[in-house]
Amino acid sequence: MINRRSVMGLFAGMASLAAAPFASRSARADLPPPPKTPGNVPGTLAPRGRNGRMERLPEIDLESRMDFLMSVRTFANQTLSNAAGKRADDILASKGIAPDTEVSMQDAIALLQDDPVVSARTRTWMSVQQLSWNNIKTECENNADTYLSEMEAVDNRGPGTLELNPDLEMPDYTRHEIHIQPGGYVGNDFAGHMYDYGTNGFYTGRNDQDALHMTAAFGLPIPADGKVKRILDIGTGIGQLAMALKERFPDAEVWGIDVGGPMVRYGHLRAVERGLDVNFAQRLAEDTRFPDNYFDLVTSYIMLHEVSPQGTKDIVNEAYRITRPGGIFYPIDFNLKNPRPRTAYGQYRRWWDHRWNNEVWTIKYRSNGLQDLVRAAGFDLNEEGPVALPRFGVMNATKPA
Amino acid sequence: MSDKVDKGRTKAAPFIPADTDAAVFLGNPHIDNLMSVVIALGAEIWADRQRMKVVERLLETEGKATTAMIEAYVPTDAEKAAWEAERVAMVERVYSVLSRDTSGARPFGEERQF
Repeated sequence: MINRRSVMGLFAGMASLAAAPFASRSARADLPPPPKTPGNVPGTLAPRGRNGRMERLPEIDLESRMDFLMSVRTFANQTLSNAAGKRADDILASKGIAPDTEVSMQDAIALLQDDPVVSARTRTWMSVQQLSWNNIKTECENNADTYLSEMEAVDNRGPGTLELNPDLEMPDYTRHEIHIQPGGYVGNDFAGHMYDYGTNGFYTGRNDQDALHMTAAFGLPIPADGKVKRILDIGTGIGQLAMALKERFPDAEVWGIDVGGPMVRYGHLRAVERGLDVNFAQRLAEDTRFPDNYFDLVTSYIMLHEVSPQGTKDIVNEAYRITRPGGIFYPIDFNLKNPRPRTAYGQYRRWWDHRWNNEVWTIKYRSNGLQDLVRAAGFDLNEEGPVALPRFGVMNATKPA
Repeated sequence: MSDKVDKGRTKAAPFIPADTDAAVFLGNPHIDNLMSVVIALGAEIWADRQRMKVVERLLETEGKATTAMIEAYVPTDAEKAAWEAERVAMVERVYSVLSRDTSGARPFGEERQF
Protein backbone atom coordinates (compact mmCIF):
# COMPACT_ATOMS: atom_id res chain seq x y z
CA MET A 1 0.00 0.00 0.00
CA ILE A 2 1.25 3.40 -0.92
CA ASN A 3 2.02 5.85 1.82
CA ARG A 4 -0.14 8.69 0.64
CA ARG A 5 1.75 11.32 2.57
CA SER A 6 5.07 10.33 1.05
CA VAL A 7 3.51 10.31 -2.39
CA MET A 8 2.11 13.76 -1.80
CA GLY A 9 5.49 14.94 -0.63
CA LEU A 10 7.23 13.54 -3.64
CA PHE A 11 4.84 14.92 -6.17
CA ALA A 12 3.52 18.09 -4.62
CA GLY A 13 5.48 20.00 -7.21
CA MET A 14 3.54 18.29 -10.00
CA ALA A 15 0.27 19.82 -9.01
CA SER A 16 -0.65 21.63 -12.01
CA LEU A 17 -27.97 9.92 -12.24
CA ALA A 18 -30.60 7.19 -14.41
CA ALA A 19 -31.46 8.13 -17.02
CA ALA A 20 -31.58 8.99 -20.67
CA PRO A 21 -30.79 12.71 -20.29
CA PHE A 22 -27.30 11.84 -19.18
CA ALA A 23 -26.66 9.40 -21.98
CA SER A 24 -25.56 11.89 -24.59
CA ARG A 25 -22.24 13.63 -24.78
CA SER A 26 -23.52 17.16 -24.70
CA ALA A 27 -20.31 19.13 -24.98
CA ARG A 28 -20.37 22.04 -27.39
CA ALA A 29 -17.55 22.70 -29.76
CA ASP A 30 -17.39 26.40 -28.91
CA LEU A 31 -16.80 25.98 -25.18
CA PRO A 32 -13.55 27.16 -23.65
CA PRO A 33 -10.94 24.41 -23.35
CA PRO A 34 -10.12 23.06 -19.89
CA PRO A 35 -7.19 24.68 -18.15
CA LYS A 36 -4.00 22.74 -18.81
CA THR A 37 -2.05 23.99 -15.84
CA PRO A 38 -4.28 25.26 -13.04
CA GLY A 39 -2.65 27.41 -10.44
CA ASN A 40 -0.58 25.66 -7.84
CA VAL A 41 -2.28 27.05 -4.76
CA PRO A 42 -0.29 26.68 -1.53
CA GLY A 43 -1.81 24.06 0.73
CA THR A 44 -3.67 22.26 -2.02
CA LEU A 45 -2.67 18.87 -3.24
CA ALA A 46 -2.76 17.00 -6.52
CA PRO A 47 -0.33 14.16 -5.89
CA ARG A 48 -0.87 12.60 -9.30
CA GLY A 49 -1.60 15.78 -11.21
CA ARG A 50 -4.74 16.68 -13.11
CA ASN A 51 -6.70 15.71 -16.14
CA GLY A 52 -7.92 19.12 -17.21
CA ARG A 53 -10.53 20.24 -14.69
CA MET A 54 -10.39 17.05 -12.65
CA GLU A 55 -7.71 16.12 -10.17
CA ARG A 56 -6.50 12.56 -10.66
CA LEU A 57 -7.31 10.24 -7.79
CA PRO A 58 -4.40 9.96 -5.37
CA GLU A 59 -3.46 6.34 -6.03
CA ILE A 60 -3.37 4.30 -9.19
CA ASP A 61 -5.15 1.37 -7.53
CA LEU A 62 -8.12 3.52 -6.52
CA GLU A 63 -8.21 5.16 -9.94
CA SER A 64 -8.17 1.74 -11.61
CA ARG A 65 -10.96 0.38 -9.44
CA MET A 66 -13.11 3.41 -10.20
CA ASP A 67 -12.36 3.04 -13.91
CA PHE A 68 -13.45 -0.57 -13.75
CA LEU A 69 -16.67 0.25 -11.91
CA MET A 70 -17.38 2.88 -14.54
CA SER A 71 -17.07 0.24 -17.25
CA VAL A 72 -19.38 -2.12 -15.35
CA ARG A 73 -21.89 0.72 -15.00
CA THR A 74 -21.76 1.29 -18.75
CA PHE A 75 -22.27 -2.45 -19.24
CA ALA A 76 -25.29 -2.34 -16.91
CA ASN A 77 -26.69 0.73 -18.68
CA GLN A 78 -26.30 -0.78 -22.13
CA THR A 79 -25.91 -4.56 -22.48
CA LEU A 80 -27.85 -5.50 -19.36
CA SER A 81 -30.49 -2.81 -19.83
CA ASN A 82 -31.12 -3.91 -23.39
CA ALA A 83 -31.47 -7.52 -22.26
CA ALA A 84 -33.75 -6.50 -19.39
CA GLY A 85 -35.91 -4.40 -21.69
CA LYS A 86 -36.27 -7.34 -24.05
CA ARG A 87 -37.20 -9.62 -21.17
CA ALA A 88 -39.81 -7.11 -20.07
CA ASP A 89 -41.33 -7.09 -23.55
CA ASP A 90 -41.34 -10.91 -23.59
CA ILE A 91 -42.98 -11.07 -20.18
CA LEU A 92 -45.70 -8.67 -21.27
CA ALA A 93 -46.19 -10.62 -24.47
CA SER A 94 -46.56 -13.84 -22.49
CA LYS A 95 -49.43 -12.14 -20.67
CA GLY A 96 -51.01 -10.97 -23.90
CA ILE A 97 -49.96 -7.35 -23.29
CA ALA A 98 -48.49 -5.31 -26.14
CA PRO A 99 -45.02 -3.86 -25.30
CA ASP A 100 -46.13 -0.23 -25.65
CA THR A 101 -49.19 -0.67 -23.42
CA GLU A 102 -49.25 1.75 -20.54
CA VAL A 103 -49.19 -0.16 -17.28
CA SER A 104 -49.19 1.25 -13.78
CA MET A 105 -46.01 1.37 -11.75
CA GLN A 106 -47.38 -1.23 -9.35
CA ASP A 107 -48.28 -3.55 -12.23
CA ALA A 108 -44.83 -3.06 -13.77
CA ILE A 109 -43.19 -3.96 -10.48
CA ALA A 110 -45.36 -7.06 -10.07
CA LEU A 111 -44.65 -8.20 -13.63
CA LEU A 112 -40.89 -7.68 -13.64
CA GLN A 113 -39.43 -7.79 -10.16
CA ASP A 114 -38.78 -11.54 -10.13
CA ASP A 115 -37.24 -11.88 -13.56
CA PRO A 116 -33.57 -12.96 -13.31
CA VAL A 117 -32.29 -10.75 -16.13
CA VAL A 118 -34.18 -7.64 -15.00
CA SER A 119 -33.02 -8.24 -11.43
CA ALA A 120 -29.44 -8.89 -12.47
CA ARG A 121 -29.35 -5.52 -14.20
CA THR A 122 -30.79 -3.84 -11.13
CA ARG A 123 -28.37 -5.59 -8.78
CA THR A 124 -25.34 -4.89 -10.98
CA TRP A 125 -26.08 -1.17 -11.24
CA MET A 126 -26.77 -0.92 -7.52
CA SER A 127 -23.63 -2.82 -6.54
CA VAL A 128 -21.58 -0.48 -8.73
CA GLN A 129 -23.23 2.50 -7.09
CA GLN A 130 -22.51 1.21 -3.59
CA LEU A 131 -18.93 0.18 -4.38
CA SER A 132 -18.18 3.51 -6.06
CA TRP A 133 -19.35 5.57 -3.12
CA ASN A 134 -17.55 3.34 -0.65
CA ASN A 135 -14.27 3.49 -2.56
CA ILE A 136 -14.15 7.28 -2.30
CA LYS A 137 -15.52 7.37 1.22
CA THR A 138 -12.86 4.92 2.40
CA GLU A 139 -10.10 6.91 0.72
CA CYS A 140 -11.28 10.12 2.39
CA GLU A 141 -11.87 8.61 5.82
CA ASN A 142 -8.48 6.85 5.79
CA ASN A 143 -6.77 10.14 4.97
CA ALA A 144 -9.18 12.44 6.78
CA ASP A 145 -6.57 14.76 8.24
CA THR A 146 -5.01 15.32 4.83
CA TYR A 147 -8.25 16.15 3.08
CA LEU A 148 -9.61 18.26 5.93
CA SER A 149 -6.34 20.18 6.12
CA GLU A 150 -6.41 20.79 2.39
CA MET A 151 -9.86 22.36 2.64
CA GLU A 152 -8.90 24.30 5.74
CA ALA A 153 -5.89 25.77 3.92
CA VAL A 154 -8.15 27.60 1.48
CA ASP A 155 -11.31 28.16 3.56
CA ASN A 156 -10.42 31.82 3.99
CA ARG A 157 -8.54 32.29 0.74
CA GLY A 158 -9.84 33.88 -2.43
CA PRO A 159 -10.68 34.51 -5.09
CA GLY A 160 -14.22 34.12 -3.94
CA THR A 161 -15.54 33.61 -0.43
CA LEU A 162 -16.79 30.68 1.61
CA GLU A 163 -19.55 31.02 4.17
CA LEU A 164 -20.36 28.02 6.34
CA ASN A 165 -23.32 27.94 8.69
CA PRO A 166 -23.02 24.74 10.70
CA ASP A 167 -26.00 25.68 12.84
CA LEU A 168 -28.29 26.09 9.84
CA GLU A 169 -31.71 24.59 10.48
CA MET A 170 -32.21 22.16 7.63
CA PRO A 171 -35.59 20.95 6.39
CA ASP A 172 -35.90 17.18 6.67
CA TYR A 173 -36.13 16.73 2.90
CA THR A 174 -32.53 17.90 2.55
CA ARG A 175 -31.13 15.28 4.92
CA HIS A 176 -31.69 12.15 2.87
CA GLU A 177 -28.88 10.08 1.40
CA ILE A 178 -29.82 11.03 -2.14
CA HIS A 179 -28.47 8.51 -4.67
CA ILE A 180 -27.43 6.53 -1.58
CA GLN A 181 -24.39 8.80 -1.27
CA PRO A 182 -23.10 8.03 2.23
CA GLY A 183 -24.31 10.81 4.51
CA GLY A 184 -26.06 12.55 1.65
CA TYR A 185 -25.12 16.15 0.91
CA VAL A 186 -25.18 17.29 4.51
CA GLY A 187 -24.02 14.38 6.66
CA ASN A 188 -20.40 13.65 5.78
CA ASP A 189 -17.43 16.00 5.82
CA PHE A 190 -16.31 14.57 2.49
CA ALA A 191 -19.65 14.87 0.73
CA GLY A 192 -18.05 17.09 -1.91
CA HIS A 193 -15.23 14.67 -2.62
CA MET A 194 -17.66 11.77 -2.88
CA TYR A 195 -20.02 13.73 -5.09
CA ASP A 196 -17.26 14.83 -7.47
CA TYR A 197 -15.78 11.40 -8.11
CA GLY A 198 -18.96 9.42 -7.55
CA THR A 199 -20.96 11.39 -10.09
CA ASN A 200 -18.06 11.18 -12.52
CA GLY A 201 -18.70 7.45 -12.38
CA PHE A 202 -22.44 8.01 -12.77
CA TYR A 203 -21.78 10.05 -15.90
CA THR A 204 -19.48 7.20 -17.00
CA GLY A 205 -16.64 9.64 -17.52
CA ARG A 206 -18.45 11.97 -19.92
CA ASN A 207 -18.56 14.85 -17.48
CA ASP A 208 -15.02 14.81 -16.12
CA GLN A 209 -14.46 18.25 -17.66
CA ASP A 210 -17.86 19.55 -16.46
CA ALA A 211 -19.05 19.35 -20.07
CA LEU A 212 -22.71 19.20 -19.09
CA HIS A 213 -22.37 22.18 -16.79
CA MET A 214 -20.41 24.15 -19.36
CA THR A 215 -23.03 23.39 -21.99
CA ALA A 216 -25.79 24.45 -19.62
CA ALA A 217 -24.01 27.65 -18.59
CA PHE A 218 -23.40 28.70 -22.17
CA GLY A 219 -26.91 27.67 -23.21
CA LEU A 220 -28.83 29.62 -20.58
CA PRO A 221 -30.78 32.63 -21.82
CA ILE A 222 -29.97 36.12 -20.56
CA PRO A 223 -32.40 38.96 -19.76
CA ALA A 224 -33.75 40.90 -22.72
CA ASP A 225 -31.81 44.01 -21.68
CA GLY A 226 -28.57 42.03 -21.82
CA LYS A 227 -27.55 42.89 -18.27
CA VAL A 228 -25.96 40.04 -16.33
CA LYS A 229 -24.12 41.46 -13.37
CA ARG A 230 -25.24 39.12 -10.61
CA ILE A 231 -25.86 35.37 -10.86
CA LEU A 232 -27.03 32.83 -8.30
CA ASP A 233 -26.89 29.04 -8.63
CA ILE A 234 -29.12 27.46 -6.00
CA GLY A 235 -28.42 23.91 -4.84
CA THR A 236 -25.01 24.41 -6.35
CA GLY A 237 -23.46 21.31 -4.80
CA ILE A 238 -19.75 21.49 -5.56
CA GLY A 239 -20.32 24.52 -7.75
CA GLN A 240 -19.90 23.04 -11.20
CA LEU A 241 -22.59 25.20 -12.82
CA ALA A 242 -21.64 28.26 -10.78
CA MET A 243 -18.04 27.98 -11.97
CA ALA A 244 -19.12 27.40 -15.54
CA LEU A 245 -21.27 30.54 -15.33
CA LYS A 246 -18.26 32.47 -14.07
CA GLU A 247 -16.37 31.31 -17.14
CA ARG A 248 -19.17 32.60 -19.35
CA PHE A 249 -19.66 35.83 -17.41
CA PRO A 250 -16.20 36.63 -15.98
CA ASP A 251 -17.22 40.11 -14.83
CA ALA A 252 -20.36 39.02 -13.00
CA GLU A 253 -20.75 38.52 -9.26
CA VAL A 254 -21.45 34.79 -9.06
CA TRP A 255 -22.84 32.97 -6.04
CA GLY A 256 -23.42 29.29 -5.40
CA ILE A 257 -25.46 28.27 -2.36
CA ASP A 258 -26.27 24.83 -1.02
CA VAL A 259 -27.64 23.35 2.17
CA GLY A 260 -24.64 21.03 2.31
CA GLY A 261 -21.71 22.66 4.10
CA PRO A 262 -19.24 19.97 2.99
CA MET A 263 -20.40 20.44 -0.58
CA VAL A 264 -19.77 24.17 -0.78
CA ARG A 265 -16.55 23.82 1.19
CA TYR A 266 -15.22 21.45 -1.45
CA GLY A 267 -16.67 23.64 -4.20
CA HIS A 268 -14.75 26.60 -2.80
CA LEU A 269 -11.57 24.50 -2.84
CA ARG A 270 -12.13 23.69 -6.51
CA ALA A 271 -12.81 27.32 -7.38
CA VAL A 272 -9.71 28.54 -5.57
CA GLU A 273 -7.57 25.95 -7.32
CA ARG A 274 -8.90 27.16 -10.65
CA GLY A 275 -8.64 30.83 -9.75
CA LEU A 276 -12.36 31.47 -10.24
CA ASP A 277 -13.97 34.26 -8.24
CA VAL A 278 -17.13 32.45 -7.16
CA ASN A 279 -18.74 32.99 -3.76
CA PHE A 280 -20.02 29.90 -1.97
CA ALA A 281 -22.41 29.88 0.97
CA GLN A 282 -24.18 27.23 2.99
CA ARG A 283 -27.72 28.55 2.81
CA LEU A 284 -31.19 27.30 2.02
CA ALA A 285 -32.61 27.81 -1.45
CA GLU A 286 -35.90 28.80 0.17
CA ASP A 287 -34.17 31.34 2.42
CA THR A 288 -31.25 32.72 0.44
CA ARG A 289 -30.84 35.87 2.57
CA PHE A 290 -30.14 38.00 -0.49
CA PRO A 291 -31.94 41.34 -1.00
CA ASP A 292 -35.07 41.61 -3.10
CA ASN A 293 -34.52 41.90 -6.86
CA TYR A 294 -30.79 41.22 -6.47
CA PHE A 295 -30.00 38.80 -9.27
CA ASP A 296 -30.16 39.05 -13.04
CA LEU A 297 -30.05 35.26 -13.41
CA VAL A 298 -31.04 32.53 -10.94
CA THR A 299 -30.32 28.96 -11.96
CA SER A 300 -30.12 25.43 -10.67
CA TYR A 301 -28.85 22.19 -12.12
CA ILE A 302 -30.99 19.06 -11.48
CA MET A 303 -31.84 20.24 -7.98
CA LEU A 304 -35.62 20.55 -7.93
CA HIS A 305 -36.28 16.84 -8.40
CA GLU A 306 -34.47 16.34 -5.08
CA VAL A 307 -36.85 18.70 -3.26
CA SER A 308 -40.15 18.07 -1.47
CA PRO A 309 -43.33 19.65 -2.88
CA GLN A 310 -43.48 22.25 -0.11
CA GLY A 311 -39.78 22.97 -0.49
CA THR A 312 -40.24 23.43 -4.21
CA LYS A 313 -43.04 25.94 -3.71
CA ASP A 314 -40.98 27.88 -1.18
CA ILE A 315 -37.91 27.85 -3.44
CA VAL A 316 -39.83 29.11 -6.47
CA ASN A 317 -41.29 31.96 -4.41
CA GLU A 318 -37.86 32.83 -3.04
CA ALA A 319 -36.42 32.79 -6.55
CA TYR A 320 -39.09 35.28 -7.58
CA ARG A 321 -38.25 37.55 -4.66
CA ILE A 322 -34.53 37.74 -5.43
CA THR A 323 -34.79 37.89 -9.23
CA ARG A 324 -34.85 41.47 -10.46
CA PRO A 325 -37.61 42.68 -12.79
CA GLY A 326 -36.65 41.51 -16.25
CA GLY A 327 -34.35 38.89 -14.77
CA ILE A 328 -34.52 35.18 -15.47
CA PHE A 329 -35.09 32.12 -13.31
CA TYR A 330 -34.11 28.98 -15.20
CA PRO A 331 -33.99 25.76 -13.15
CA ILE A 332 -32.53 22.98 -15.27
CA ASP A 333 -34.09 19.63 -14.53
CA PHE A 334 -35.82 16.60 -15.99
CA ASN A 335 -38.29 17.29 -18.75
CA LEU A 336 -41.82 17.51 -17.41
CA LYS A 337 -43.50 17.43 -20.79
CA ASN A 338 -43.10 13.66 -21.02
CA PRO A 339 -43.60 12.68 -17.40
CA ARG A 340 -44.59 9.06 -17.95
CA PRO A 341 -42.22 6.29 -19.04
CA ARG A 342 -43.28 4.70 -22.29
CA THR A 343 -42.73 1.11 -21.21
CA ALA A 344 -43.33 -1.20 -18.27
CA TYR A 345 -39.59 -1.53 -17.90
CA GLY A 346 -39.38 2.27 -17.73
CA GLN A 347 -41.94 2.27 -14.93
CA TYR A 348 -40.04 -0.45 -13.12
CA ARG A 349 -36.79 1.52 -13.43
CA ARG A 350 -38.42 4.69 -12.20
CA TRP A 351 -39.61 2.87 -9.11
CA TRP A 352 -36.22 1.22 -8.55
CA ASP A 353 -34.47 4.58 -8.90
CA HIS A 354 -36.90 6.23 -6.49
CA ARG A 355 -37.03 3.50 -3.88
CA TRP A 356 -33.61 1.92 -3.93
CA ASN A 357 -31.32 4.56 -5.39
CA ASN A 358 -33.04 6.86 -2.90
CA GLU A 359 -34.35 9.42 -5.37
CA VAL A 360 -36.78 10.32 -2.63
CA TRP A 361 -38.65 13.18 -4.31
CA THR A 362 -38.37 12.47 -8.03
CA ILE A 363 -41.81 10.93 -8.50
CA LYS A 364 -43.47 13.84 -6.72
CA TYR A 365 -41.36 16.29 -8.74
CA ARG A 366 -42.93 14.90 -11.89
CA SER A 367 -46.48 15.37 -10.61
CA ASN A 368 -46.03 18.51 -8.56
CA GLY A 369 -47.17 21.00 -11.20
CA LEU A 370 -43.90 22.93 -11.21
CA GLN A 371 -44.98 25.00 -14.18
CA ASP A 372 -48.06 26.17 -12.27
CA LEU A 373 -45.96 27.00 -9.22
CA VAL A 374 -43.63 29.10 -11.36
CA ARG A 375 -46.52 31.00 -12.91
CA ALA A 376 -48.27 31.41 -9.56
CA ALA A 377 -45.13 32.96 -8.12
CA GLY A 378 -45.45 35.70 -10.74
CA PHE A 379 -43.04 34.64 -13.47
CA ASP A 380 -43.81 34.70 -17.17
CA LEU A 381 -42.97 31.12 -18.12
CA ASN A 382 -41.64 30.11 -21.52
CA GLU A 383 -41.47 26.33 -21.90
CA GLU A 384 -40.43 26.40 -25.54
CA GLY A 385 -36.89 27.63 -25.38
CA PRO A 386 -34.07 28.04 -25.42
CA VAL A 387 -32.93 24.57 -24.45
CA ALA A 388 -30.13 25.23 -21.99
CA LEU A 389 -29.17 21.58 -21.86
CA PRO A 390 -30.22 19.12 -24.55
CA ARG A 391 -32.72 16.46 -23.44
CA PHE A 392 -33.61 18.35 -20.27
CA GLY A 393 -36.68 20.46 -19.71
CA VAL A 394 -37.14 24.12 -20.60
CA MET A 395 -38.16 26.31 -17.66
CA ASN A 396 -37.36 29.82 -18.89
CA ALA A 397 -39.09 32.07 -16.36
CA THR A 398 -38.86 35.85 -16.57
CA LYS A 399 -39.88 38.20 -13.77
CA PRO A 400 -42.07 40.84 -15.37
CA ALA A 401 -40.36 44.21 -15.65
CA MET B 1 -22.05 35.23 8.14
CA SER B 2 -20.26 32.63 10.20
CA ASP B 3 -16.50 32.41 10.20
CA LYS B 4 -16.53 29.20 12.19
CA VAL B 5 -14.20 27.29 9.95
CA ASP B 6 -11.85 24.62 11.11
CA LYS B 7 -10.55 21.35 9.82
CA GLY B 8 -12.50 19.35 12.37
CA ARG B 9 -15.62 17.40 11.60
CA THR B 10 -17.94 20.34 12.12
CA LYS B 11 -19.49 20.72 8.69
CA ALA B 12 -21.59 17.59 8.66
CA ALA B 13 -25.14 17.44 9.96
CA PRO B 14 -27.52 14.64 10.97
CA PHE B 15 -28.83 12.76 7.96
CA ILE B 16 -31.59 10.28 7.19
CA PRO B 17 -29.98 7.00 6.13
CA ALA B 18 -31.11 5.11 3.05
CA ASP B 19 -32.06 1.47 3.57
CA THR B 20 -30.67 0.11 0.33
CA ASP B 21 -28.46 -2.34 2.18
CA ALA B 22 -31.71 -4.12 3.02
CA ALA B 23 -32.69 -4.48 -0.63
CA VAL B 24 -32.98 -8.01 -2.00
CA PHE B 25 -33.12 -8.07 -5.78
CA LEU B 26 -31.98 -11.63 -6.42
CA GLY B 27 -34.21 -13.57 -4.06
CA ASN B 28 -31.62 -14.12 -1.35
CA PRO B 29 -29.53 -11.44 0.36
CA HIS B 30 -26.44 -13.64 0.18
CA ILE B 31 -26.72 -13.78 -3.60
CA ASP B 32 -27.07 -9.99 -3.68
CA ASN B 33 -23.95 -9.77 -1.55
CA LEU B 34 -22.10 -12.16 -3.83
CA MET B 35 -22.84 -9.98 -6.83
CA SER B 36 -21.14 -7.09 -5.06
CA VAL B 37 -18.25 -9.39 -4.19
CA VAL B 38 -17.86 -10.50 -7.80
CA ILE B 39 -17.85 -6.92 -9.10
CA ALA B 40 -15.44 -5.79 -6.40
CA LEU B 41 -13.10 -8.68 -7.25
CA GLY B 42 -13.22 -7.66 -10.89
CA ALA B 43 -12.14 -4.17 -9.89
CA GLU B 44 -9.25 -5.58 -7.84
CA ILE B 45 -8.11 -7.73 -10.75
CA TRP B 46 -8.27 -4.78 -13.12
CA ALA B 47 -6.25 -2.65 -10.70
CA ASP B 48 -3.47 -5.25 -10.77
CA ARG B 49 -3.66 -5.49 -14.56
CA GLN B 50 -3.54 -1.71 -14.90
CA ARG B 51 -0.51 -1.52 -12.62
CA MET B 52 1.21 -4.22 -14.64
CA LYS B 53 0.67 -2.26 -17.83
CA VAL B 54 2.26 0.79 -16.30
CA VAL B 55 5.19 -1.27 -15.01
CA GLU B 56 5.71 -2.79 -18.44
CA ARG B 57 5.65 0.61 -20.10
CA LEU B 58 8.09 2.08 -17.61
CA LEU B 59 10.47 -0.85 -17.98
CA GLU B 60 10.34 -0.40 -21.75
CA THR B 61 10.95 3.31 -21.68
CA GLU B 62 12.89 3.95 -18.45
CA GLY B 63 14.46 0.61 -17.64
CA LYS B 64 13.05 0.70 -14.11
CA ALA B 65 9.72 1.09 -12.36
CA THR B 66 9.67 2.44 -8.83
CA THR B 67 6.50 2.90 -6.82
CA ALA B 68 6.75 6.65 -7.25
CA MET B 69 7.17 6.34 -11.01
CA ILE B 70 4.15 4.05 -11.25
CA GLU B 71 1.95 6.43 -9.31
CA ALA B 72 3.13 9.42 -11.31
CA TYR B 73 2.79 7.85 -14.74
CA VAL B 74 0.43 9.70 -17.06
CA PRO B 75 -0.75 7.53 -19.94
CA THR B 76 -0.89 8.88 -23.44
CA ASP B 77 -4.28 9.35 -25.07
CA ALA B 78 -3.58 6.26 -27.17
CA GLU B 79 -2.79 4.23 -24.08
CA LYS B 80 -5.89 5.47 -22.31
CA ALA B 81 -8.04 4.48 -25.27
CA ALA B 82 -6.42 1.07 -25.59
CA TRP B 83 -6.71 0.34 -21.88
CA GLU B 84 -10.34 1.40 -21.83
CA ALA B 85 -11.10 -0.87 -24.76
CA GLU B 86 -9.43 -3.75 -22.96
CA ARG B 87 -11.36 -2.96 -19.78
CA VAL B 88 -14.66 -2.87 -21.63
CA ALA B 89 -13.84 -6.16 -23.33
CA MET B 90 -12.98 -7.73 -19.99
CA VAL B 91 -16.29 -6.59 -18.48
CA GLU B 92 -18.24 -7.99 -21.41
CA ARG B 93 -16.26 -11.24 -21.31
CA VAL B 94 -16.72 -11.76 -17.58
CA TYR B 95 -20.23 -10.47 -16.94
CA SER B 96 -22.20 -10.93 -20.15
CA VAL B 97 -23.63 -14.19 -18.84
CA LEU B 98 -25.83 -12.00 -16.64
CA SER B 99 -27.78 -10.99 -19.74
CA ARG B 100 -28.52 -14.63 -20.63
CA ASP B 101 -32.21 -15.23 -21.17
CA THR B 102 -33.21 -17.62 -18.40
CA SER B 103 -36.85 -17.93 -19.37
CA GLY B 104 -36.19 -21.43 -20.70
CA ALA B 105 -34.69 -22.71 -17.45
CA ARG B 106 -35.77 -26.26 -16.68
CA PRO B 107 -36.11 -28.02 -13.31
CA PHE B 108 -33.07 -30.11 -12.30
CA GLY B 109 -35.03 -33.36 -12.04
CA GLU B 110 -37.03 -32.99 -15.23
CA GLU B 111 -36.28 -35.56 -17.92
CA ARG B 112 -35.77 -34.11 -21.34
CA GLN B 113 -38.41 -35.10 -23.91
CA PHE B 114 -37.35 -35.77 -27.52
